[in-house]
Amino acid sequence: METRELRIASGRGRFVDDIHLPGMLHLVFVGSPYAHARLVRVDASAARAAPGVATVLTGRDLLGTTDPLPVLAQLKALGWEWRECEARPLAVDKVRFFGEPIAAVVAETRDQALRAAERVEAEYEVLPAVTSARQALETGSPLLYEEWGDNVQAHRTYRWGDVDAAFARADLVVPVSWREGRASGFPIEPRGCVAVHDPVMDLLVVRGSIQCPFRARQTLAHVLRRPVNRVRVEAVDIGGTFGNKINVWKHTVVAYAALVTGRPVKWLESMREFIATGPHQRDVSWEGEAAVTRDGRLLGLRCRLVQDLGVEVSNRGYAGGSLPAACCALPNAYRIGALEVDAYGVVTNKSFYCAYRGYGKDKGIRFMERVMDRTARACGLPLHEVRRRNFIGPDEFPYEQLTGYVYDSGNYPAVLEKALDVARWEEWREKQREARERGRYLGIGLAFLVEPAGVASANVTSGIAQARIRLTPDGIVEVYSDRTEVGQGAEASHRKVVAQIVGLRPEQIDVPAVTSDVAGIGPVSSRGSVYSLSAVVRAARKFRDKLALLAASLWREEACGIEIRDGVVRSGADPEKALTLAELARKLYFVPGPRGLTEDLLLGDDYLPEVSATWFSPNTAKHPSSTYASYCASADVAVVEVDVETGVTSFLDYFHVHDAGTIIDAEAVDGQIHGGAAQGIGEALFEELVYGEDGDLRTGSYTDYLFPTFVDVPPMETAHLETPSPFTELGTKGMGEAPSIGAKAAVISAIEDALSPLGVNVEEAPATAQRVRGWIRKASNQRRSGGAP
Amino acid sequence: MNVRIVTEVNGQTRELDVHPGTTLLDLLREQLGITSVRRGCEEGQCGACTVLLDDRPVYGCLTLAVQADGRRLTTVEGLPTPPGGVHPLVQAFVDHHGLQCGYCTSGLILAAYALLRRNEAPSPQEIRQSISGNLCRCTGYVNIERAVAAAAASKTAGEWPR
Repeated sequence: METRELRIASGRGRFVDDIHLPGMLHLVFVGSPYAHARLVRVDASAARAAPGVATVLTGRDLLGTTDPLPVLAQLKALGWEWRECEARPLAVDKVRFFGEPIAAVVAETRDQALRAAERVEAEYEVLPAVTSARQALETGSPLLYEEWGDNVQAHRTYRWGDVDAAFARADLVVPVSWREGRASGFPIEPRGCVAVHDPVMDLLVVRGSIQCPFRARQTLAHVLRRPVNRVRVEAVDIGGTFGNKINVWKHTVVAYAALVTGRPVKWLESMREFIATGPHQRDVSWEGEAAVTRDGRLLGLRCRLVQDLGVEVSNRGYAGGSLPAACCALPNAYRIGALEVDAYGVVTNKSFYCAYRGYGKDKGIRFMERVMDRTARACGLPLHEVRRRNFIGPDEFPYEQLTGYVYDSGNYPAVLEKALDVARWEEWREKQREARERGRYLGIGLAFLVEPAGVASANVTSGIAQARIRLTPDGIVEVYSDRTEVGQGAEASHRKVVAQIVGLRPEQIDVPAVTSDVAGIGPVSSRGSVYSLSAVVRAARKFRDKLALLAASLWREEACGIEIRDGVVRSGADPEKALTLAELARKLYFVPGPRGLTEDLLLGDDYLPEVSATWFSPNTAKHPSSTYASYCASADVAVVEVDVETGVTSFLDYFHVHDAGTIIDAEAVDGQIHGGAAQGIGEALFEELVYGEDGDLRTGSYTDYLFPTFVDVPPMETAHLETPSPFTELGTKGMGEAPSIGAKAAVISAIEDALSPLGVNVEEAPATAQRVRGWIRKASNQRRSGGAP
Repeated sequence: MNVRIVTEVNGQTRELDVHPGTTLLDLLREQLGITSVRRGCEEGQCGACTVLLDDRPVYGCLTLAVQADGRRLTTVEGLPTPPGGVHPLVQAFVDHHGLQCGYCTSGLILAAYALLRRNEAPSPQEIRQSISGNLCRCTGYVNIERAVAAAAASKTAGEWPR
């Protein structure tokens, strides 16, 4: 049996750009060179006349026949002050971010489309750009949406417990500031799709690098004013997502082009377009203070969060939910009696916010880890001890966290102890002491986190999941789910689990590519192993029981005696009697009766070998405020050396300990850990989207937006614990995001640990070499002038 | 405007008419249908378009097709493979979970192939440095290093097809 991995490694991947259909056209977008401007006029006449051009579409062309992009998230119902606006895939009379598409050129070849795109003329009235959240909040700042009166898209002040009382009781008040630069995933394959309209069946098919086909279909149908059942979305091989391919908005224009030209249309954006107009993330600033006791216990926290959403956050992708997640995930693994978060989501002239590994919870978690590190230093405690003193205990689960999340299970002290053990923490501390004596700055950093996974909020990210299993007429078992294969091993995982539960050989199972036919919001929020897998497990059990029932009926015996082993169905009454799946299928489909199945089944309403199942988080159903189904735990230890002359941070060692409940495939879990950690390291050291004053993107390609190469990522040691979730079918928990959340925090912690003798507090990521040198210089100047660091 | 070139592609001699501005990437993908060579950044940063030009890895997006005149081009499809089998380097990537989404994999395999041709027993540091021109966003490189080391061992043991 050829696995997906073997097929792709042998060069036979089937990604979007590999699709070739007769008569296929190529679409290229024309993007605005300005971050903020009135779009006075677009003249496509010269472009239309260019060689090979089939059509050129502008925003105005689409006005009469399409609807604006649908609003995907709305926080008013959750108690937020919330603003909305209209957004269309092609700008109509205003552009609001560098690269925002103003036209689409469709031609016979990509080259012809690119050349014709240069002939599209547009007239702009440039407006002053808003390029930071700080600027967005200033009185008199330019406005992105004039009708709003300011640039605040969302605001809420959360208050849990009595914060004033907590501060009155505190022995120490620890101030903490933390800023994360703008970043995102930008996997090596950009976004793309091929749209085809079949006029005979009146079916619009969009095939692409699309993370959530069922959800994508809704947006396409809505914008194009088609019934949902006349649109089909299919995922092909996908070159990485990390949440960056949930959004489906440019795809509506590709589909529109297919409808108006009557020909297939392919679009694969350039990497520069992906970076300039793709979903952005991070870009938050936290200012707060923690009320703590002398022995390092956290009594309360009061803080302000400002998140830079770029343009409106609810039309192109759904990131509205990232704000409440940042606030509610803030307590992390710790007991806390009082919490106040004044949270703002502001709009600026940058690309829209959507999802990238972490989504919203990562921000709260990393801020809390900064609070822990600072509290440790203020109280003279080791980094691990302060966490130990604030941990939720292993006997307290399910634990109702202050913010409404109900943590299903966990053993935090065990994970921490394992991490310290695997990392040989005390040995490294000794080496650090010796190194300091020789003028070298080693740092040992720690991050501990609880990753909430498997979201179901009262919003478009509500967590439905469906699975279907069917025996085909020639004896193959098909497994359908919403868990799009994006490289995380969904296909292999489902094959393995179904084989085990039903009693099949892996090669008898086909896991077809995910399409919009199956209901579910897709592999977002690490929910694949929570929602999708649980639905598949349920379906597998039903399927096994159904095959046994049908075989027993054929053999006129009791179903409970039927055994399915090694892909063969065996009689319980007569060990000689057995049917291969192909034989069973032939009987069921082609000679079910008479003299086949018993009368009761034939006259019933369900005699075919197929089943369907759904799954929803019992955690969330019982506790609606616990929007996540499962909560895994992990600890990262990073050992670094900071060169104080150059500011460069290099790795000496790296460790990750993970407890994601039941492990189905250890190799896949480790793969997520390595990859996630590499991303976190990239964000800690290099990755930042930088805008100029007029809103032009300075870091527009891989040349400037630097993510880790082979030499930047250290070898990593991983270890696993398994505290199963009581809520999922196999006890699995989602874990894909934790490694990136933890790695960034651990590396920052390590740099701060390395530079603490110099009085440096790390308050910003990425800790580029330039920034590190600046911090060292500043701390040195403060020391010389007698000021406190 | 087109130029005629003669080039050996995966062992087969081809006479091709190419526009002088055509890149190796476009030649291989669009004219010859060899899709293992992938479109990533198209600016010489990611290496998804890596091709072996006379056994040296080059970025297909930055090399012109005309530069292949009189020379040999090798892609993953052209690695010597036992009949009905899989090249040991490809198998090593699969066995060691050296790919997740797989988009960068063809380029990485060729870069590793070129490395092992020059250096049969590279150290971990040598593996990383030699292949640092190929980016991967999914795997964090850890398993890729293991896969290349395993492939090197199998080569040293004489298990590679000629």
